[in-house]
Order: sequence, then structure tokens, then C-alpha cells
Amino acid sequence: MLLQSSASSYLPILIQGIMALAFVGITMVITHLVGPKRRTIDKLTPFESGISSVGNARSPFSIKYFLVAILFVLFDVEVIFMYPWAVNFRELGGKGMIEMFVFMGMLLLGFFYVIRKGALDWEK
Amino acid sequence: MSHFLIVGAALFSIGLYTVFSRKNAILVLIGIEFMLNAAILNLVAFGRYDRIDNEGQVFAIFAIVLAAATVAVALAIIINVYKQYKTIDPDKIKDMKY
Amino acid sequence: MTSLIIVSVLAVAVLYLGLFKYKTALLPVSVTGLLAAAAMAAMDWDLEKMYFSEMMLFDNYAVAFSILLILTTLLIFGLSRNYFEKISNNVAEYYALMLFALAGGVVMVSFHNLAMLFIGIEILSISLYVLAGIRRKDPASNEASLKYFLMGAFATGFLLFGTALIYGATGSFNLAAIASSGAFESALFRAGVLLMMVGLSFKVSVAPFHTWTPDVYEGSPGLIAMFMATVVKTAGFAAFLRLFLMAFAEASAFWAITVAILCILTLFAGNITAVFQDRFKRLLAWSSVSHAGYLLLAILAVGFSASSAVLVYTIAYSLASVAAFGIMILVSRARGNDHLDSFNGLARTNPFLAFTLTLAVCSLAGIPLTAGFFGKFYVFKVALAQGYTWLVVLAVINAMIGIYYYFKVIIAMYMKENANAVAIQLNPGFRLVLSIVVFLIFLFGIFPGLIANIL
Repeated sequence: MLLQSSASSYLPILIQGIMALAFVGITMVITHLVGPKRRTIDKLTPFESGISSVGNARSPFSIKYFLVAILFVLFDVEVIFMYPWAVNFRELGGKGMIEMFVFMGMLLLGFFYVIRKGALDWEK
Repeated sequence: MSHFLIVGAALFSIGLYTVFSRKNAILVLIGIEFMLNAAILNLVAFGRYDRIDNEGQVFAIFAIVLAAATVAVALAIIINVYKQYKTIDPDKIKDMKY
Repeated sequence: MTSLIIVSVLAVAVLYLGLFKYKTALLPVSVTGLLAAAAMAAMDWDLEKMYFSEMMLFDNYAVAFSILLILTTLLIFGLSRNYFEKISNNVAEYYALMLFALAGGVVMVSFHNLAMLFIGIEILSISLYVLAGIRRKDPASNEASLKYFLMGAFATGFLLFGTALIYGATGSFNLAAIASSGAFESALFRAGVLLMMVGLSFKVSVAPFHTWTPDVYEGSPGLIAMFMATVVKTAGFAAFLRLFLMAFAEASAFWAITVAILCILTLFAGNITAVFQDRFKRLLAWSSVSHAGYLLLAILAVGFSASSAVLVYTIAYSLASVAAFGIMILVSRARGNDHLDSFNGLARTNPFLAFTLTLAVCSLAGIPLTAGFFGKFYVFKVALAQGYTWLVVLAVINAMIGIYYYFKVIIAMYMKENANAVAIQLNPGFRLVLSIVVFLIFLFGIFPGLIANIL
């Protein structure tokens, strides 16, 4: 079964897109025109929870953060395999359940390895 | 259908151009990701014709996961290279004698 | 299939052994596991079993190449005692990564679906990116890793895009379904085949996509370069041939000319550049490029005997490479570098090493009475049977160029003297592996029927 689609069936999406863009544009223009303008130094400095900002935001950060971030990405991405499994949970039955447990077990082995190696040790 | 193919081909070409023109390993990596994602887009687009098995979509998931794994390794390598050379320009990293 | 599971579980087990500091158990466990894996693979002989809804097919082709990959890894592990300890603290990771790469290789030779081909290649490649750069403090190793990664990932992009196009043209990833789809005329299919060819050519270092090879081989640790030259190349070519044999064979009229051009380019690029190398590791790297050219000849002649020819060739090439790289490691460790001059006088100080290396380079060059001769012989034979006489003539010219540069090292060992050379100490692992290799090169060189009729 193949859903028939042609250029015209994308028309609603196109209209919605135009509406969204137009809304953004119009509100920006209107607030700019309508709103009162008071320019002071305090108002133009970036707001950082009430603390005056220090240095450039694009300064180098610790490598430790990189390791945690990359590990997060890896484990996070593996989760997408669970979506198709969850959708077909009933059809796959017990066998699918076991296979998913094997998969999760492998992931956990990797996770324990990471912990034992101290990659998540923030203080080190 | 052909729209997806055109977008896919365009992304692939952009990625190819990026790989060849950039002097920064991270940007080259981004170019490679462009190429991979062009392919993934094509897989999903062709998957429309394959409604029984949905092979295209499943392949796309695998490709995404493997691309993420590649990036993780790549960034680790690039950081290591930076520690050694203090640059990540692939053209400047030439120690070996020819 | 069981062998694949054993290899994967073994890799995780080795990783955990290292984690809990059982360093002495690493090698025995890996060797036992690999032997078990090879035995289990042999049990699958003639079963022709499909696994996971036709994702993988363990036919005789897959079994033969799996066993070859596993045994080659075993030989490399035999050389690795006390090797990794010297260059890194993370010894267990070495073994684990090589086993993971091996698992990827086994997937690559047994796929029956493009998805498994892609996954296999990625498992193999990602492990190797790390392995190439595992000497973290060594700039050359880092450079090798970065180059290998950039080239490998770039190739993956081509491969994946090609896969997507073939899926679009045929509606399936299954090799049998692709072969019977009859979409060979469509532009989509042809573009897909060419893109996949480019991707695979990068991986097996076929010219003009070979430029990374010498740098990566030189920068990587010796044993890893050996692993790349043997296991990775074998797996890559087995996958290349399997794909073109099982899926694209019907369309061969279209892609044959491209492969022929790649073949000529690879042969000349590899052999002519190798002539000008004065460092042995780089020479071996360029010669590995040229061997890719000979193997392409067999792929050109798709047919039943092509797989047999590739099997014989890769067996001979793997054996000879293990010996050549192994001795290169010994010499460069003892004499500081792998320059050809370092081999001077080796025949006097270490007759066994000199003899083994002579045999290995003779096998690489294709001299009769060695396994390499029959490797080239069968490859040329299948190419001739398909009517590629002109290509075989060019290949024979290249083989002669090959003899010239391979003999440079023999001349260095036997003819030249080195006054202050001292004998190189061999550990038992090296002695055992090199003896096995010498025996097998002779065995297959004199009785080629032992391996020629397997497939």
C-alpha cells in the first residue's frame, strides 16, 4: 500500500509554513513599532541570572565535559532501537523481549566499563 | 519523490564540497555528516515504496546510530591530534617523511 | 553464526578481563576463544544456513573466509606477546578492539543484506580508527588515525549513498532480491553500483582511492599495520567480491570496464611507487596497494572460480604479510628503524629470519614453490578464462616490477654486510608463528590443491 501524494497534497503544509513565518515576521515588526524604547547600558548587557557577565561565551571548556557529552550521545542514540521494538511489542512477543534484553545487557556492559574506567568521575 | 532525491543529492554534493574545501578537521567531519545524512534521507524517501518491511526506515536507524558512533570516535581522535599538534588542519599534520 | 557470537562475546570478555586486571589471562583466553570460534565456523560447513530473516548467509564462502580471518588474527595474536605492553598501558583494549574488528570482518564475509554489509564495515572501521591511533603520545600514530578516519568516514558516505540508490532502484537490500530485480538498466541502479564501488575501493585501498594507505600503515603500530594488511584487506575483498558476485553479477557488462580501469591504475600506482621506497614498512604498504590490483582481476572475472581464486590469493598474501611485517617489527625494534639498510647482514646474524623473510617476499612476488605463485596463477587463470588477456599481460609486467623491489630486501640481507650487527633475539611466540608461516607457505606452494578446491 502506497499513499498517493502529489505536489498539491503538500499545499496545507506550505500554507501552514507561510502562516508561521508571517506570524513571526508580523509580531516582530509590530512590537518594534508599538513598544516604547528606553536604551540604557544595563538594558543592553546580557542577562546572566543577575550576575554581571564575565568574558566571552565562546571560551574553551574542560575536556571532561566532552567525554561525558560524547558518552551521553552514544547511549542516547542507542535508545532509538527501542522505538520500533515498542511499536511492534505484541507481534514480537517473548522472543523480541529476550532480544531486547540481550541488547540492553550489552549496553549495560558498556556502561559498567565506562564507570569502572572512571570516565564519569567528575572530580578526578 | 524526486524532490527528496534532489535534496539528497544536493546535501551530498554540499558535503563533498565541504570535505574538499575545508582546512579544519571538525568542518571536514561536518561535511562527512552531510553526506551520511543525505544518504539517510534517501533511504527514508525510498522507504515509502516499501511499506511491508519498512527496510528503508530500519536501515536509516542503523545508519544514524553508526554515524553517532563514528562521530564519537572522530572527536576523540581530533582532540588527541590537537593535543599533539596544536592544530586540526589536516594539511598541516604531516610528520612523515616521503 | 556461533563463531560470530563467540568472537563478539570474547571481545567483551577480554575488555572485562582487562578491567579487573587479569593481564596474564588476556592472551590465553583470546587464543582459546579464537580456536573455538574457528572450530564452530568449520561446523557450519555445507549447511548454507540463513540467519535473522535472511540478513546473513553462512554458506561455504562465508565459512572459508571466516576461518581465514580468525586464523590470521590468531597468528597476529601469537606475535603480540610483550608487544602491546611496550607501547601502551591499555593492553586489554588492544585485544578487545582487534576482536571487535574481527567480528566486523566476519559479518562482512557473511552478509546477505546490504544492511549487514554496512554494519560489518562500520564495526571493522571504527575499531581500526582507534587502533591506528592507540599510541596516544606518538604524533605519527595520531596522524595515521586522523587520516584513516577522514578517509574511512568519507568512503562510508559514498557506500551509504550508493546503498540508498540501489535500494531505490530495486526496492530491497536483500542480495538475492537485488539480483533478481531486473533493474540493471536504470540510472539509479548504475549510480548506486558506482558509488558503492568507490566506497569499497577506499576501504581496500584501490587506486585512485589509495592515498591514505602508506601514511596510515607507517604511522600505526607494526602489528596494527599487519592486521590492516591481512585481516582488513581479506575481509574487504571478500565483501567486495560477495557483493558483486551475489547481487551485481548480472550487470557485469556495465561495471566491468570500470573495475578494469581501477585494476590497471592500482597495479601501476602500487608497483611503481613501491620501487622508490627505501623504508620497508612503506614498501610493504605500497605493495599491499598493488596486491589489491591483482585481487581486482579476480573480481572482474565474476564466476564460480573467482571466489576460489580470491581465497587462494588472500591466504597466500596473509601468510606472507604476517611474516614480512613480523620481521619488520623485529628489525626496526632491534636496529631503530625499518630502513632497507637495517636489513643488511641479517643472513649472517639471523639465518632463520633472513630465510623466512626471503620466503615471504618470494611469496609476495609470486615466485614458484611458494603459495603466492599459485595465488597469482589462479587469479590470472580466471581473468584469462573471461578473455581479459590484455589485462593479464599488464598484470604480469607489474609482477616483474614487483620482483625487482622485493628482491632489494633479499639483496640487503644476503649480499650486503653490516659490521656492527648483532643477532636479534626471538621470543617463543615469534619463533612459533614464523615457523608455522614458513611451513604453510611451502605446503600451499607445493600442494595448491589443498586450498584451491575448497570453494
